[in-house]
Amino acid sequence: MFNAIGRIFRTPDLRRKLGFTLGIVALFRLGSFIPAPFVDFGNVQACLAANQAGAAGLYDLVNLFSGGALLQLSIFALGIMPYITASIIVQLLRVVIPHFETLYKEGQAGQGRLTQYTRYLTIALGVLQSTTLITVARSGALFPNGAPECSQLITNDAWYAILLMVITMTAGTGLIMWMGELITERGIGNGMSLLIFTSIAATFPGSLWSIGISRGWDVFAIVLAIGLLVVVAVVYVEQSQRRIPVQYAKRMVGRRTYGGNNTYIPIKVNMAGVVPVIFASSLLYLPALIAQFNTPAAGETPQPWVTWITNYLTQGSHPLYMLMYFLLIVGFTYFYVAITFNPDEVSENMKKYGGFIPGIRAGRPTAEYLDYVLTRITLPGSLYLGLVALIPLIAFAWIGADQNFPFGGASILIIVGVGLETVKQIDAQLQQRHYEGLLR
Amino acid sequence: MARKVIDEPSEDVVANAKRDRAARRNPFSRVALFIRQVIAELKKVVTPTRKELLSFTTVVLVFVVIMMAIVWAFDQVFGWVVLYVFGTPGV
Repeated sequence: MFNAIGRIFRTPDLRRKLGFTLGIVALFRLGSFIPAPFVDFGNVQACLAANQAGAAGLYDLVNLFSGGALLQLSIFALGIMPYITASIIVQLLRVVIPHFETLYKEGQAGQGRLTQYTRYLTIALGVLQSTTLITVARSGALFPNGAPECSQLITNDAWYAILLMVITMTAGTGLIMWMGELITERGIGNGMSLLIFTSIAATFPGSLWSIGISRGWDVFAIVLAIGLLVVVAVVYVEQSQRRIPVQYAKRMVGRRTYGGNNTYIPIKVNMAGVVPVIFASSLLYLPALIAQFNTPAAGETPQPWVTWITNYLTQGSHPLYMLMYFLLIVGFTYFYVAITFNPDEVSENMKKYGGFIPGIRAGRPTAEYLDYVLTRITLPGSLYLGLVALIPLIAFAWIGADQNFPFGGASILIIVGVGLETVKQIDAQLQQRHYEGLLR
Repeated sequence: MARKVIDEPSEDVVANAKRDRAARRNPFSRVALFIRQVIAELKKVVTPTRKELLSFTTVVLVFVVIMMAIVWAFDQVFGWVVLYVFGTPGV
């Protein structure tokens, strides 16, 4: 294993790629520290320090995904999230807009167009989110229970100052998007997932440490042990797949034979990845946002439905919230799997290349069989996703850890998923050069 | 990879499922049927062996710990630099 790590650095090509990736990661982190123009750096730091123990409530998840940059109001405050949201939305829009579907099926050129749309949408989302963030920061709601200086985070209220901040943060989002694409192109692993991995990894040691400080080191040890178990479980499920055997007919093209071999279609138990979790949490974030906008000034009684929302739908520890979260994740898993794996399309492709599932006719029966397996294998997958996502909420209720509880929910799925993917890619690169890989 | 049940796909699977489903009027018994089918499919899932699981977990853990250490080091340095540049002198 350590030999293998040594070999990574002795392979010039791989060394260059790793160095490039690390360089981008370093730039990404540097940007999340540089404050945006007209931000009062001293006040922000003071409020951050005061707010360390009590999390900032609503913005927890978003802050986690931006690696703590959001609350710092830095130039990279939005992180990679707008890009991820945009690419999920474009993927989902394929169902609604036929034009997108035709583009997707067109092959390389069409998919290039889709990427282009994703980038435009990212910029639009960046403008939207940075405006929201700056408005919230200006009203002093970013640190709800902070000192008076926490409502003076911005030194200049003039329109040109606000405009400059919005432009800076949007440009930061664009830059992050470009850096992610550079990693995918010239570095190791998928840039988008590696950058969100970096953001989560940056907040990890801090939140672990705060558990140790506030709850004692025995709880810390228990949390670590549970975390290890969860990691093992996640690796186990991520590596489990239902393999549907496929045979390809032998074909002669010129003097070469193609095909004639047995392969399989891997249907992972968790086909959907983390997307349903991210989606469910952003959807559940909406009622809290609506309630916040409708909260009346001090002294007036809020409307009954606002109280109801704040009572049941904003606290992660409430059973109703947990139930909704769980059900949303299960639903989104089915929805997302249905979008990303289309049995008709797969069976059509197999037919085109002379492949068939032994014992099943090509065409419609194949699609029906794939659909049968897919619907059944997705049920345990969705339950698993829902349970893993509930871990931080349960931990929140049980030991009073904050919602950034490191071992659960989207963060553990992303950490382990990206880790597996990246390590496998490094491994494949090592094996290309006839070395033994990392994984034996 | 460990395999528990030998997988022999056939068109009967889908046909049987359709017939069984049509034969049941009671929604509860339909759910029970679905769950039984889910379990049957789960038995055909290929899971990593103990050795594979162990090696994947170690490799992922090592990768995550290394990355976390690197990012932590970056954060320390950049935090200090930014504080030096933007912080109020004398505080």
